[in-house]
Amino acid sequence: MLRFTLNRLLGAIPTLLILIAVAFFLIRMAPGGPFDSERQLPPEIEANLRAAYNLDAPLHQQFLRYLADLARGDFGPSFQYRDFTVTELIASGFPVSLRLGGLALLLALVLGVTAGTLAAMRQNRAPDYAVMAVSMTGISVPNFVMAPLLVLVFAVLLGWLPAGGLGDGGWRHLLLPVICLALPQVAYIARLTRGSMIEVLRSHFIRTARAQGLAMHTIVLRHALKPALLPVVSFLGPAAAGLITGSVVIEQIFGLPGLGRYFVQGALNRDYTLVMGVVVFYGALIILFNFLVDLLYGWLDPRVKA
Amino acid sequence: MHSHRLSLMGAVLAAALFTAGCGPAEQRTAVPIGGASGAELAERQVFRRGNGAEPETLDPHRATSVTAGNIARDLFEGLTEMTPDGSVKPAAAESWTISEDSLVYTFRLRSGARWSNGDPVTAGDWLFSLRRAVDPATLSDYAAILYPIEGARAIVAGEAAPDTLGVQALDEQTLEIRLAAPTPYFLGLLTHSMSYPVHPPSVERHGERYARAGNLVSNGAYQLTEWVVQSHIRAVRNPYYWNDAETVINEVWYYPIDNQDAELRRYRTGELDMTEKVSSRQVDWIQRNLADEFVISPYFGTYYYGLNVTRAPFQGNRELRLALSMAIDRDVITERISGTGEIPAYSWVPPIPGYTQQLPEWAGWTQAEREAEARRLFEQSGHAAESPLVLELIYNTDDNHRRLATAIASMWQEVLGVETRLSNQEWKVFLQTRRERRQTQVFRSGWIGDYLDAFTFTELLHSTYGLNDTGYASERYDELVDTAALEADPARRRALLEEAERVLIDDHPIIPLYFYVTARLVKPWVGGYVPNIMDQHYTKNLYILKH
Amino acid sequence: MSTTPLLEVSDLHVRFTTPAGPVQAVAGLSFSLSASETLAIVGESGSGKTQAALALLGLLADNGRASGSARLEGEELIGQPARVLNRVRGARIGMVFQDPMTSLNPFLTIGDQMGQVLARHRPMARAAARAECCRLLDAVGISAAARRLTQYPHELSGGMRQRVMIAAALLCRPALLIADEPTTALDVTVQAQILALLGELRREFATAVLLITHDLGIVAGTCERMLVMQRGALVEQGTVDQVYAEPAHPYTRRLLAAAPRLDAPRSAAVPLPADSRMLLAAEEVSVRFRLPPERLFSRARELQAVSEVSLTVAERETLGIVGESGCGKSTLARALLRLVEPAAGRVQFDGRELTALDRTQLKAARRDLQLVFQDPLAALDPRMTVRDIVAEPLRTFRPELRAAEVTAEVTKILEEVGLEAAHLYRYPHQFSGGQCQRIGIARALILRPKLLVCDEPVSALDVTIQSQIINLLRDLQERFGLTLLFIAHDLAVVREISHRVMVMYLGRVVELAPVERLYASPEHPYTRALLAAVPIPDPERERNRVRTPLAGEPPSAFAPPSGCAFRTRCPHAIERCAEERPALRDYRGALVACHLAGKLGEPGRG
Ligand code: SF4
Repeated sequence: MLRFTLNRLLGAIPTLLILIAVAFFLIRMAPGGPFDSERQLPPEIEANLRAAYNLDAPLHQQFLRYLADLARGDFGPSFQYRDFTVTELIASGFPVSLRLGGLALLLALVLGVTAGTLAAMRQNRAPDYAVMAVSMTGISVPNFVMAPLLVLVFAVLLGWLPAGGLGDGGWRHLLLPVICLALPQVAYIARLTRGSMIEVLRSHFIRTARAQGLAMHTIVLRHALKPALLPVVSFLGPAAAGLITGSVVIEQIFGLPGLGRYFVQGALNRDYTLVMGVVVFYGALIILFNFLVDLLYGWLDPRVKA
Repeated sequence: MHSHRLSLMGAVLAAALFTAGCGPAEQRTAVPIGGASGAELAERQVFRRGNGAEPETLDPHRATSVTAGNIARDLFEGLTEMTPDGSVKPAAAESWTISEDSLVYTFRLRSGARWSNGDPVTAGDWLFSLRRAVDPATLSDYAAILYPIEGARAIVAGEAAPDTLGVQALDEQTLEIRLAAPTPYFLGLLTHSMSYPVHPPSVERHGERYARAGNLVSNGAYQLTEWVVQSHIRAVRNPYYWNDAETVINEVWYYPIDNQDAELRRYRTGELDMTEKVSSRQVDWIQRNLADEFVISPYFGTYYYGLNVTRAPFQGNRELRLALSMAIDRDVITERISGTGEIPAYSWVPPIPGYTQQLPEWAGWTQAEREAEARRLFEQSGHAAESPLVLELIYNTDDNHRRLATAIASMWQEVLGVETRLSNQEWKVFLQTRRERRQTQVFRSGWIGDYLDAFTFTELLHSTYGLNDTGYASERYDELVDTAALEADPARRRALLEEAERVLIDDHPIIPLYFYVTARLVKPWVGGYVPNIMDQHYTKNLYILKH
Repeated sequence: MSTTPLLEVSDLHVRFTTPAGPVQAVAGLSFSLSASETLAIVGESGSGKTQAALALLGLLADNGRASGSARLEGEELIGQPARVLNRVRGARIGMVFQDPMTSLNPFLTIGDQMGQVLARHRPMARAAARAECCRLLDAVGISAAARRLTQYPHELSGGMRQRVMIAAALLCRPALLIADEPTTALDVTVQAQILALLGELRREFATAVLLITHDLGIVAGTCERMLVMQRGALVEQGTVDQVYAEPAHPYTRRLLAAAPRLDAPRSAAVPLPADSRMLLAAEEVSVRFRLPPERLFSRARELQAVSEVSLTVAERETLGIVGESGCGKSTLARALLRLVEPAAGRVQFDGRELTALDRTQLKAARRDLQLVFQDPLAALDPRMTVRDIVAEPLRTFRPELRAAEVTAEVTKILEEVGLEAAHLYRYPHQFSGGQCQRIGIARALILRPKLLVCDEPVSALDVTIQSQIINLLRDLQERFGLTLLFIAHDLAVVREISHRVMVMYLGRVVELAPVERLYASPEHPYTRALLAAVPIPDPERERNRVRTPLAGEPPSAFAPPSGCAFRTRCPHAIERCAEERPALRDYRGALVACHLAGKLGEPGRG
């Protein structure tokens, strides 16, 4: 187990390095720099800035220095947010994104699996059609459309929930963003669960369970759920990536101080260190997440058990 | 991609808004605003404003954005302050004297002024602050604002030490500033955040982290108490402020909301008392539903198209430049495209007190007359209809710019038969393309004055000025600008600047389109809000009425 | 026999609504079963025997409807809601399904799966339930029962899983055990064990058994009475002795005649010309597979599927290869054709060294080497017409042919394999299993290859069809001068067609001998055990057969035993067997890999 973990972690290093290199040079290749603005800086001031941020060194030296800093856990200073280091920004933004994404994932799993299972049990009957129709909507309506609509209804017209901001971080402020972020995933997970549940319910071992006189809920919960969840678990990796990209939009619409906003703003502002920081951080996070998904898979499926 | 998504979102939202109409959020004014007398104050004096993009820093010497400026104005106080009518009044300085030659300003600091931690504000603090502002180590983007002060330019360039700056603390309460050349707008400059004082012990203790909540000590009406990046900034009244007795609002929340649709929604739910902007797509709806809360006022900025005069077809072809300008129906543009009440522009400097706009003769013609003249000039320029001219127009990716560019291209097509290829570029790419002047022919641009003086506009097209992306280089114009820069007599200086503008409009390296306006929503219970051309609002002047 | 029947079925009908219209699966089945009786329902695929059993328990697919009556101890089962049936299922009627690999839930431990049955029908304390499960596992011959309860199905062998299935079915002491093809998916030696076990349990638990099978061999040895079904209808019933001795219905007679039996005289294989030259020769061929790690945290494993196998096949000869599943017989065949790359060894075909050919040469050589697969329908592209399927090899090897010529070729070969020109433009699903296999054979033969490798070509087919296909292959061999490699697990089938037979165990050849020699006097203990385990469709002989089923199941190929691979199951193993691997030596006309070859005396056969 320990060895496996070590192997996986070591194996992730080349992936991360490639990611870092590609991101580093791509953002540098983009025209314009962090200090370009409509009011051009006098050359002497720009020179001061470039020197202070080590932008006047040859590119490969900058890269090596970035790697060296990174190895020490230092993401560098942000170009855009002058008072903060990238590490600080990530540290302040990530808990919000994590809460948002974690809750959305949880909601998506609970709703998606429940809806999918119900649909599978009532295959081709009204509940099935209802779940499928709703999930089709969830998949096809993008969350940058869904989010303003929900805000309009629940915040502006009904006045039940705030229209944005984190406030005190309570559920009232998170409810709508979490729902918007979860919705496409709920839809996907519901369809996935339905499909795999139908397949599992047709399998021989379910026939065995039925022949043993077990009640339907025992069969579904004890016998069918675990195997039916395997595709859902495999989908968690892509789902996490989807949540990350989704959070970029959701955090902006709801004015939440998460990590997603930094990514887009960092890129637009050519805030090299911030973009790099977010890319590296998310890259590492996705690698870690996939590792956890593998562990979960092993836990669910005794055939690959540790 | 990103902005495309957002604009799609906006379209859907707009549709929803139209159908949804007015909700309970707008109808909950049960109590008459301001109580029975109309002037009763609310119990909770908390002001919540939308504040656009997240400020890059709250260090007044390093901040450059409008949004950081909004906050800095509440936290800090300069020697002088701008009044809504554009004049300058004493602030941290009680009074001042100006020497005969206009080169030495002596400020009498307010007695009893204190920092937000209770320390007295001394002339030494001001000296420290101004030196810090120009010190290259401070990495101040905007250090050039202080160039009029003697020695500033050399210090910024690293050629001289910061203590060579022409500033002296004559005593605890007297500050002397010597200028390199007469600068009539110098008192106006002192309203800019670059001239704000910083608390020397805090700066020394916290260095780069000086501007964080908890570290920042300031001399304005408010002090910073909380800063959650991307979420909010909170300031509360500074009990040590010299004029604290007059301050009404106890607490200000600045929300960074860079998406105006989101800002509008939060305004409608009552989470905001004031928006920073409104989206032009929402203007129609707002005018129908929230007209009473919609405040539009002129702003010190010009939206224009720059023409690259260093290359064909604009090089040496004044007729073509004028023809293109006259072919544009600016009324159509301000009424149908920009749509927030912008003012059609035929000249360069926006209308401000103490300056006469230099309108060309054709500004007074009918559009039909202008078009006829445009056709004549076009023919004269050597571009007959048989050999159609193809132009490329670049603008930074944005829905409003695109709509405007499309309209203008069709006007050019219709009046002159000129074909225009539109090309949008992401902001930073756009800036670089423009600056290189290699391929650019026509580019979109806008200029907002840094301080309330025509010079901030005039200077832009000086041949040596860094931001002159048109490449315009007129000896006559440069000479007029240079002379005006050194002219101490206000009347003569004004005449020089006005003549420079006449030269400019005659040469027409730029096509002015309209003068900007500020458009925002302000709740009816926000008292003391006075629109002004610099769009500067001090929370200390505002109050919340009972509602 | 008690006087009131345990189960009384009368006029049972099962209908399915399908997109193609209603299908009658069972038509008016009536029979009765007394307590403790064993009754077999025999029939080929599509006879309705399984659907009849599922109808009793209300387990038909959603589109199936049962009507008629089935009374268990007087209580009606047909048309009852699940609530009622759930008190019968697992409690009064236990059911064992065909495939133990898929019929147990791979995600739950054995203990969980058995425990749930008890919790449902015989609620008791946890410890008591555990003890009861252990008792049942003991009863079905599973050692270390307590530990098994914590194991997952994949940790058990196929035979063990079927024992678990049986234990679970007997947990509530049902009055009736329905066993639907309980041994069909198992190897012949394991089948013998399970059948013996069922016999013992029936006596111990006094359970009536309804055995559903296609295999007349196992009916003969295990049941008292039998029903024969054909296309949903009951065609004959009686005691086993009666039916075997004097089958009344022509269909029963056909069935009995078609069943290949080891005790019957062998229909002659195609005579082998004396001067036949060598066509295929393999020298010390080995095949290894690298498999992904079995567990999440272990290394990749290497599996030695075939170890140092040498063989020769003469022109027009049929070499039969037999062995239990996993013995490496199919892999060997693929390695000979270089469909998998051998890790070591050489293969010569028609004077050329196949193992030395490059890609293009190999492709050209394949023209003479064709393969026929086990599952006929799955091997054919469902979207292609028969003409296109059969003509496919022509496109590669004879692209010069014009369309009309291709059609002519295809028609000719279809007629050779017993199909008609009218079939040319139909699709595979329009054919029966036997016809599909004929199409597969036609496709393999269209290039007139020299060698045909048949990998379990008849094991998916019903017995009557099996014999037709065997006859066809024999016939084609004669007419085209084909050389055959015939791979099968069914010793009786192999005997019908082969000239020589090779027996494999765990990737190695244990015995290779001419067919008469091998079946008359097998030398290797494994060969002997295999032959002894094959049931004979004759109640008389089965009853008198002295049988000691081979214990255990083949060990894992990942960790083969030292010395003789068979020693873990060999009743004769001596110390030397663990230390030294026996070489393949000639013993009186048979090649045998056993230290005791020739010293074991005559095999004890029934
Ligand atoms: S070698 Fe030994 S173990 Fe192997 S078969 Fe012969 S007797 Fe049995």
